[in-house]
Amino acid sequence: MLRSDQILATVEMIQKENLDVRTVTMGINLLDCRASSIGQTCRNIEERISERAGKFVETCNFVSRKLGIPVVNKRISITPISLVGAGFNRDDFVALAKSLDRAAAVVEVDILGGFSAQVEKGMTRTDREYIHSLPEALRESKTVCASINIASSQKGINMDALAMLGPTIKDIAEQTADQGGFGAAKFVVFCNQPGDNPFMAGAIHGVEEADTVLNVGVSGPGVIARSLEKLITSRQSDEIGLKLDEIAEEIKQTTFRVTRCGELVGRQVSDILGVSFGVVDLSLAPTPTVGDSVGEILHILGVDAIGAPGSTAILAMLNDAVKKGGIFASKTVGGLSGAFIPVMEDSVLAEAVGKGHLCLEKLEAMTCVCSVGIDMVAIPGSVDGDTISAIIADEMALGMVNNKTTAVRLIPVPGKEVGDSISFGGLFGASPIMPVRNVGKSSRFIGWGGRIPAPVHSFKN
Amino acid sequence: MSREMVISVMSKDRTGIVADITGAIYELGGDLADLNQSTLGGYLTMILFATFDEGVSPAMLREKIDAIDSPTTLDVVAREITPAPSSEHSELPRKTYIMTTQGLNRKGLVYGISSFCFRHDINILDLATTIMADTYTMVLQLDLSRVESIAEVRSALDTYAHEEGLQVVLQHHDLFKVTNEIPF
Repeated sequence: MLRSDQILATVEMIQKENLDVRTVTMGINLLDCRASSIGQTCRNIEERISERAGKFVETCNFVSRKLGIPVVNKRISITPISLVGAGFNRDDFVALAKSLDRAAAVVEVDILGGFSAQVEKGMTRTDREYIHSLPEALRESKTVCASINIASSQKGINMDALAMLGPTIKDIAEQTADQGGFGAAKFVVFCNQPGDNPFMAGAIHGVEEADTVLNVGVSGPGVIARSLEKLITSRQSDEIGLKLDEIAEEIKQTTFRVTRCGELVGRQVSDILGVSFGVVDLSLAPTPTVGDSVGEILHILGVDAIGAPGSTAILAMLNDAVKKGGIFASKTVGGLSGAFIPVMEDSVLAEAVGKGHLCLEKLEAMTCVCSVGIDMVAIPGSVDGDTISAIIADEMALGMVNNKTTAVRLIPVPGKEVGDSISFGGLFGASPIMPVRNVGKSSRFIGWGGRIPAPVHSFKN
Repeated sequence: MSREMVISVMSKDRTGIVADITGAIYELGGDLADLNQSTLGGYLTMILFATFDEGVSPAMLREKIDAIDSPTTLDVVAREITPAPSSEHSELPRKTYIMTTQGLNRKGLVYGISSFCFRHDINILDLATTIMADTYTMVLQLDLSRVESIAEVRSALDTYAHEEGLQVVLQHHDLFKVTNEIPF
């Protein structure tokens, strides 16, 4: 039998430290749903999603009850919609978004991702129509999340697409002004977007994937924070020194446990449903719940203000230790896998914005060493489209040159300025508006269009 | 023909008890199949399975152990059993769960939770308890093979825990295996 102390440690992780499986995401291929009319295409899509995911939520709940571990979100990702809807126009894409919304409601998933396009090298006519549809599509749908990949280390940055996105994001926010610009929280711009990421808003079912695949996203910033607190306290009471490499080891071992839970849940759900198991995404994804914060870990590890010098180095160590612990724990690792710093979804990061400790530039620096990027940042609604595009361009360049995934999810909150706050509630969280410096000074750069060529290290053939 | 026996021993703990008992079994030509021992509050208890030749009876074994020059009293029970214990007994049932309960220490806690298990046709495979400060903790390994609806048991357990003022958690054994063991 397992020892009682091991059992109690595991129970504590789940009961007191917010250990859960953050998301089980079913990826569904929709490529063959394209019919000669938009109406028939929508019907095909809804039928396909019902058929594949009809028992998905029920099965996740069954496994969750059986094992005694919460599975927080049940989601679906689909083939990027611009490929499914090749040849359709703007209005057709709005119809597709509504159709996906209906399908998500029928199978009772929380969110559906993959209202997406991949334009890192060039845009088709369909891709442009898709981009034009975004403001209305995101206003008219509730659960649909959109993403676009406009850059990669292999192909460079598509600056024509990028130039369209700043104004598009503003438009999305304005179309949902009655909800504080919430539409923009459902749209994310990527460099090196993975095709098997289970986290939203950027989940897609990549064209390289099989027909139906299950990917699992584990989380657990709260578990890591509590285990570090315990380690630090016990060493202090024993008066034994503690070094950073020991802290990294603690993070690694805790992540191992967290990941193993995700792997167990994912494999059992995929066995019951008879679909192939994809990857475990080992991410530290915070939630607005107090005690489930990546910012808090930075604080525990020694910076009194999030964004103070040292924040980037701590995050680098955290991100690396999370990967090391998780990779050993899972048979197949993928997706984003690392620490997330979505400002609105992390109460400690949001608080740091309010206190003026965390600025956009420091956040950008931190994204060089962790997963994703400038995520869930509320900025003044008055910031112009070109400036937003230019913020995205900088983040894309980081991903492109460093061979990593980066992304931007900015919410230019209509009518709000620095000093105001915005709350979306639930998992999307709340934050004071973050100041943007040097607004309106990048238009000449964005005006060029064309492409930023792929970096020299992309030529590996 | 050989004879299978189960032997139970309890004694105040000291060094040499296992050597004394297994020595007696050896001298009677016995083949030890399995042994499990535990200590609690300064006392040791162990249970053993052994195979003897036909000529050896449980009474002979008890006599042999009684003849040991032991500084502590050895309370021994030996019984012949049929059939022999299955060699697969170490494999856990598929519906093995771990229940942990914590609450203020008072009389009847183990009785209460074990009665709950009995009412729901749940077999207790293993049970360990600890007391720290005033908190009494029980860790039970349970076989829920005869339980049809885990949801019903969970709901009954929630009600029981609420009534008794206990924190009770019921989780599948697999969860503890994956978080604490590296598979090989």
